[in-house]
Amino acid sequence: MKKISVLILLLLLATASCEKDDICAETTATTPKLILRFYDITSQDETKSVTGLRVTGFDTNNDDVEISNLNVTTTDSINLPLRTDSNSTKFTFHKDYAIDNNGTPEDISDDIVLGNPDIVTINYTREDVFVSRACGFKTIFKDLTMSVEDDGNKWIINSEIINSTIEKNTSAHVKIFH
Amino acid sequence: MLKYFISINFVMLMIFSAGAQNDSIAQDSIKYKQKYGLRLGGDLSKIIRTVIDDDYTGFEINADYRYSKNLYIAGELGTEEKTTSTEFLNSTAKGSYFKAGIDYNMYKNWLDMDNMIYSGFRVGASSFSQTINSYTIFNTNQDFPQTTINESINHSGLTAIWAELIIGIKAKVLNNLYIGLNAQLKGRITETEPDNFENIYIPGFGRTYDSGRFGIGFGYNVSYLIPLYKKGK
Repeated sequence: MKKISVLILLLLLATASCEKDDICAETTATTPKLILRFYDITSQDETKSVTGLRVTGFDTNNDDVEISNLNVTTTDSINLPLRTDSNSTKFTFHKDYAIDNNGTPEDISDDIVLGNPDIVTINYTREDVFVSRACGFKTIFKDLTMSVEDDGNKWIINSEIINSTIEKNTSAHVKIFH
Repeated sequence: MLKYFISINFVMLMIFSAGAQNDSIAQDSIKYKQKYGLRLGGDLSKIIRTVIDDDYTGFEINADYRYSKNLYIAGELGTEEKTTSTEFLNSTAKGSYFKAGIDYNMYKNWLDMDNMIYSGFRVGASSFSQTINSYTIFNTNQDFPQTTINESINHSGLTAIWAELIIGIKAKVLNNLYIGLNAQLKGRITETEPDNFENIYIPGFGRTYDSGRFGIGFGYNVSYLIPLYKKGK
């Protein structure tokens, strides 16, 4: 009896054990990011870097979310993750971001944030696409549109959607002129 | 139960000793008759797994009919429900299946023994549904919280057809009562794939692999022979 139980147990383990197929490899094509490139408004074929750019997102509760690798950089191209639980994602594009601590680094209450923040909203429709048994689904984004809130002092002058479907992390989807 | 185990071991032992004994059989003057009939049974491993595995429910009945000395017409009929869950995906496959084919006995029985070491072939067909219970969107960027979707998506009316090679043993443990173990190697011939999903588990076939169309299975059967007639060896 005991020996047969062990044998059956072994058979069950053999069928129920963990497989390579069941672990999602990091290299698998994932939910793509939105790629934006910054161009010069006066010479529209040339890219132009944004100085001291800090980008933050807004979550469901409208709280700030830090975006990785975008805490004050100077660049002409950025990748942004989009929310997979909503058909729009709101960001703050803060140019020339700096903090003037008024000569008191310890006291943050009198700090002044310098630079020019613009609120950008990206709207899209979502589609969940099956990847594999281990990774489940990824989201792709379609019908991309973008708007910049008019705060009377916009540094983003114009934008142009060049690819309204985000399926891969390869080429730029939006041109921003400043 | 220990007796069953001994029987199986005994069958194994005989494979090794059979070669040496062949010469003496010819001189035996007593004629032994063998039973022919319909053997009906069930897969005990599926019942045990149903009890111990919360994600599995399965039941299978099987039958074989002795067509000639070594040839049996065999088939299985069953139902399975299996929930598969990985880090990002949880889905349930549910359905029924049947398999039909032949078993060929390769073992030479002594005296009035009626054991089998057999190899078999089956064609199997399954009709099933797959339900996605929940999934978490795969996103290597986690600046925003991960999204998990909990609404179930049902894909029904799926079918699959496959071929199976079987190797197994059956041993008579009591009069007309047999137990057997078998292993199955399977290859899918056709299947209907759900839209924007794949067949994670196919009732009767078992789990699928990303690498291709092959699968494996095991059975532990208990069956009872309904004797119809007897025939000499």
